[in-house]
Amino acid sequence: MESLTNLVYGFQIALDPMNIFYVFIGVFAGTVIGMLPGLGPISALALMIPMAFTMDPASGLILMAGVYYGAIFGGSTSSILLNAPGVAGTVATSFDGYPMAKKGLAGKALALAAYASFIGGTISVLGLMLIAPLLSQVAISFGPAEYFALMVLGLTAVVSLSDKSLIKGMIAAIFGMMVSIMGIDLQTGTERYTFNHIELLDGIDFIVVALGLFALAEVFYMLLRGGSKTQKRNIVGSLKLSRQEVKEIAMPITRSSILGFFTGVLPGAGATIGSFLGYSMEKRLARDGDTFGQGNIKGVAAPEAANNAACGGSFVPLLTLGVPGSGTTAILLGALLVMGVTPGPMMLEQRPDVFWGVIASMYIGNIFLLVLNLPLIPYFARLLDVPRPLLLSMILIFCMVGVYGMSFSVFNLFLLLGFGLIGLAMRLYGFPAAPMILALILGALMEESMRRALQISGGDWWVFIQKPISMWLLIIAFLSLFMPLFKFVYRRIRGF
Amino acid sequence: MKKNSRLLLKKRYLAPLLCAVAALLIPGFALAQSQWQPTRPVEYIAPANPGGGWDTLVRTTANVIRAENLSNQNFSPINVPGGGGAVAWAQIARDNRNPHKLFATSPPIILVPLMGNSRFNHQDFTPIARLITDYSIVLVRADSPYQTINELFAAIKANPGLSVGGGSATGSMDHIAIAGGAAAAGLPASGVNYIAFSGGGEAMIALIGNHVEATVTGAGEASAQLAGGRMRALAVSSPERLSGPLADVPTYKEQGIDYTFDIWRGVMAPKDMPKEAVAYYEDLFARMIETPTWKQARDQLGWLDAYQDGETFGKFLDEQLDQFSTVLGDMGLLRN
Amino acid sequence: MKSMNANKIISVIIALISIAYIWMAYQIPQFPIPRPVDSDLFPKVLGFSLLILSILLFFDKTGISDAPAETVEGDRLPWYRRPTMKVVVTSVAIAAYALLLVPVGFVLASLSLCFGLALYYGYRNHLVNFVSSFGVVIVLYLIMTRVMEVYLPKGIIPY
Repeated sequence: MESLTNLVYGFQIALDPMNIFYVFIGVFAGTVIGMLPGLGPISALALMIPMAFTMDPASGLILMAGVYYGAIFGGSTSSILLNAPGVAGTVATSFDGYPMAKKGLAGKALALAAYASFIGGTISVLGLMLIAPLLSQVAISFGPAEYFALMVLGLTAVVSLSDKSLIKGMIAAIFGMMVSIMGIDLQTGTERYTFNHIELLDGIDFIVVALGLFALAEVFYMLLRGGSKTQKRNIVGSLKLSRQEVKEIAMPITRSSILGFFTGVLPGAGATIGSFLGYSMEKRLARDGDTFGQGNIKGVAAPEAANNAACGGSFVPLLTLGVPGSGTTAILLGALLVMGVTPGPMMLEQRPDVFWGVIASMYIGNIFLLVLNLPLIPYFARLLDVPRPLLLSMILIFCMVGVYGMSFSVFNLFLLLGFGLIGLAMRLYGFPAAPMILALILGALMEESMRRALQISGGDWWVFIQKPISMWLLIIAFLSLFMPLFKFVYRRIRGF
Repeated sequence: MKKNSRLLLKKRYLAPLLCAVAALLIPGFALAQSQWQPTRPVEYIAPANPGGGWDTLVRTTANVIRAENLSNQNFSPINVPGGGGAVAWAQIARDNRNPHKLFATSPPIILVPLMGNSRFNHQDFTPIARLITDYSIVLVRADSPYQTINELFAAIKANPGLSVGGGSATGSMDHIAIAGGAAAAGLPASGVNYIAFSGGGEAMIALIGNHVEATVTGAGEASAQLAGGRMRALAVSSPERLSGPLADVPTYKEQGIDYTFDIWRGVMAPKDMPKEAVAYYEDLFARMIETPTWKQARDQLGWLDAYQDGETFGKFLDEQLDQFSTVLGDMGLLRN
Repeated sequence: MKSMNANKIISVIIALISIAYIWMAYQIPQFPIPRPVDSDLFPKVLGFSLLILSILLFFDKTGISDAPAETVEGDRLPWYRRPTMKVVVTSVAIAAYALLLVPVGFVLASLSLCFGLALYYGYRNHLVNFVSSFGVVIVLYLIMTRVMEVYLPKGIIPY
């Protein structure tokens, strides 16, 4: 009841004409930035801080939050159409979104992503409104040991993501981890695998690898294989989902939204990890799990619901603890401080207008995003009608501009090319890229939290079992690893 | 109105004074100053991605310079991220005569080379001005048994495994801050079991969640958290008590430990920049810090004024180098 | 038979990489303050896992490699239009772009890359090619420099 009163209060703020305008501008700018491959919301938000000087805190946060979730929303478009993830959080969307587009179902994939994003976003706002203070306890209870267990659980998905050959999938995953630990080791300050290159001291940016392995490798592959025969005209296809399809994705979207939301609540996890966890969970739960990766609608719905829910979830530690859980929310925190608001436990009492105003604005923003994007889908999808030679060179330009605009580094352009060629080789010889990307995201975090936990415990390995959350996560990880492995071994034995 | 005119007066009075002082220090300055002016936009480099401390400093000062019409040319912010600054430093060091290049700087320019991760340190560049500072702060949970910094250090002495979280890599700012404090209190600098988190925020969550026993981070970052009442601050590394929300936090010095630690930020230029150009920029920043626009931006961002001119800044940097290499040497981490 | 050979060759390459990786892992200096797990443990585990996996791959019979073979029509095309050459030329073009981006400037370099590659891939409507390449590059440039205030190299064009 109380939250209802609060929400009414929040809507009074969010429905102020000026604030409606800010929501609109925010989500619109976010969508555009999200669609450009590589460019995430971080730089856009950083550049808005000087503007924030003059703004009312509630309006400022409404605007900036809009850019953030708008970018995650918009990122799916280029993932689906070009196989070039717009933001890190939508990499998993391209696994099934791009195959759908290739089958001529681009319209449906985009619409599906929009609906799933909308529902994921809305569920996360509900969660934010109802149980945010409670959830901050969850965020706090995750220490290094628990993170390690969570990362292990995430990594078991390597097994389900490498469908053709488990060995090749695992090789790809190991390779991903090798890339992820390059650079200065946080725990010792030691350089690892930097080959005395200062550009490698910070490691390799995830989005460079993702764009190389997916977008660039796809361009190369099309050049190599896509003769004139496969150049059938892409059709936008229907935007409508059949009743059967709606029924099919209802549960995956709900589950992934909840999972994504909780992942977002954990500092340091966020939308990217959330979308991968959602994708691999649904792949395992689905009866037609082996068609994931070939254009399964659940494979688009799950990560899209999860990443948008995670985006909402990441506001929990920011607003209730005053602690940013990701680079993006760190910038939001900075902006709030500039505007004279101190997020944290006292915020609900001191500045309820900011807290409830932003939450209410997210309902409005999500509706805007849906209304804004749905009618535009046929036009976006028409992008695929661009003559192939032109489209390929455009994809290349988008990737390079994205990488350069994100890192201002010529070196990263060479890395992009390198990973494009690696991605091509991997495709030609049947090594799946998804496990590599997954390991790249989770590998460094897993090592870091493991070593942190051990250093706190003084080298006692039992710490991972002694903590209940960590123990349960490890048990689930063990079980989920054991089931497909058992199936695999069984199949192999029968196969001989 | 009155306040404004007084500020204006002060500004008008101060700039010539500074010029006069500088003219005494650098022969031929006054003449050169009137001659040299930038002839194209100044490349103003933040050696990091948008959003960090360096980037905010660069963009804020560039805006102030434009708004107050302090220069005939634009200062255009450029981000050169990588290697904790090392990529930008190498680039600037290669371009060592360019009179249209400046960059933002802070303790990593001394620490990163000491850890062996950069070939260039502050001696390879020309200091222009130190502008602002923050301090290091030590936090514990509200219900923690430790009431003073000395109690915490005593506990660390008794139990070397006691975990202290921090927001930067091992051997970097937060680690040096606590290790230096411990050394000043008579402990071995390597005796602190420092746990590196990727950001002060994560380190504070780990503290609240009972995963580490204490956390060391920037005072600015912690002030919001302290208001929440879940944490207490044991010591701040400033020479005197801070004002505002941190007024209740005792300094190390008050508690009998002779120790201060600055997280300063300033501006530097390429090493062989012509003297006239150096003088021009020094004068520019000296005038900038007196403008109302800068003061407003500085206060809004929670920055503490810590202006030093180029020469004083250079001496300060040499002292910092001594301080940091002693601490890193005590820990056995010196690699250069 | 051919695909099995591919698997074996790849497994040997991966084994060599993993040995080099393990060798580098042993070069990682020890941290002066004792740590329960130092910087070198994780790389060593990764290196040896990769070595074991490469051996398994050598004897693996399930993975069907999609070995690259030029399409039949590829042989009939002039050499510079063959699929493999297209990949090579694209890679070289990207490398050239990376090298020339700063000296030549963003707008000019991007425009030439976009227009040139589309031309090379066989797009024959030069006007549409030029207009769309130019449009995309300019829009990107303006979004980045004007709206987001990110610096992009200007190069030889003054704006």
